[in-house]
Amino acid sequence: MADLDFSAHRQAVHLTDEDIARHKRFVGLEAADLPRIAAVRPIVMERVDELTTMFFDFLRGLDVATPLFRRGDLLDEAKRMKREHLIAMVGGVYDRAYVELQLELGLLYSKVGLDTRVFPGAFYHLMNTVGAIVMANAGDDPQKAFQNFMAVKKIGFLDIGLMIDIMAAEREQTISIQQEAIRELSTPVLQIRDGLLILPIIGTLDSFRAKQLTDSLLRAIRANRAKMVVMDITGVAAVDSRVANHLIQTVAASRLMGATVIVTGLSGDVAQALVSLGVDLGTLNTVGDLQGGLELAERRLGYRIARQADSSLETA
Amino acid sequence: MPVMGDDGITVTIANESDIVTARQMGRALSEQVGFQGSDLTIIATAISEIARNIVTYAQRGEIVLRPVTANSRRGVVVVARDDGPGIPDIARAMQDGYSTGKTLGLGLPGARRLMDEFEIQSEVGVGTIVTMRKWLRR
Repeated sequence: MADLDFSAHRQAVHLTDEDIARHKRFVGLEAADLPRIAAVRPIVMERVDELTTMFFDFLRGLDVATPLFRRGDLLDEAKRMKREHLIAMVGGVYDRAYVELQLELGLLYSKVGLDTRVFPGAFYHLMNTVGAIVMANAGDDPQKAFQNFMAVKKIGFLDIGLMIDIMAAEREQTISIQQEAIRELSTPVLQIRDGLLILPIIGTLDSFRAKQLTDSLLRAIRANRAKMVVMDITGVAAVDSRVANHLIQTVAASRLMGATVIVTGLSGDVAQALVSLGVDLGTLNTVGDLQGGLELAERRLGYRIARQADSSLETA
Repeated sequence: MPVMGDDGITVTIANESDIVTARQMGRALSEQVGFQGSDLTIIATAISEIARNIVTYAQRGEIVLRPVTANSRRGVVVVARDDGPGIPDIARAMQDGYSTGKTLGLGLPGARRLMDEFEIQSEVGVGTIVTMRKWLRR
């Protein structure tokens, strides 16, 4: 069984400048927000250690966050990065370097197996605290303080939007890596007798898989000196003219290698559709089911299969 | 991902796995409309052929699947739309065995034979729209 740890194949997810600009538009971040954020900056900077501690105290209270607190070294690293992130949040520059910092933090969290879903909640509490501090320092202009805080809040939502993008990109990467793995696993060529191979095809036959299948079949024909191949397509979900063409070409190539291919498992519905389409299947040897195909192949190879009269199954 | 709306199911076609999605959606919708057995395979195969043409020639496009009723007949309509290079010679493209893409050249003529109605509009540099219908036999 192949190693199913895909982390080695995983490439770091990166967001482009365009992605970042899009998220800024989503939250409505504009130039007027920057001086507002700048006004909040000294208040946050003064309490940045306190806010960092508070953020991790909130996480500590959650069951799902325990993996992080078991890793002392990584926890210190996470705290350091979170502090840096808080400073950057009120820093006024939200470019790729800003996103990279978040990516690094996210990578660290996923290294300890921390569920990213806890973060919107933790983030919400953090923003609440920042809001309370800003309002406490509002002096005689609470309306302005509120506006300032709302500008910082946009950065909070910007962060969440970016985080969702990153998670989605990672998920998609996982899916495509797994698809690759499934493709690799799903085209076995099996020798069942001297000179006889079976090739059960299951799933969807796209161009890539068809090519891979032809390659592995031709290799197996040579390696096993096969004379007959039974190709069973019962499990093929869809047969259209392209798939039929792949089959015809595979059969022709096998013939050049000295092997005869018998195709089995073509359903009545598919046969009708292919005839209407105009696909010429005259060049294919077809037999209704796999059993019939195997019997024909064995006969052609000169095997005679007979059941013994005293078979124990007979009396069972 | 297919999108379901008032005017049917829209499947974006951009790669081979989208062909499978369009095909499955078409099959499911036809079953709801009342088609059975080999008709389901026939409709799905026709969808497969035109979806494949989109991937091969236009790279991107969409397929819209809708139930239809006309003159008390029920059926399905499949519209395939792309803004690809277009087909310079439609009459030739509708001939069996004509292909510019190293295939069997059965996609368009085959799909026409599989369905009851088939219309194609294409303009070079603008794109191609294929509309096909299959009616339930009464």
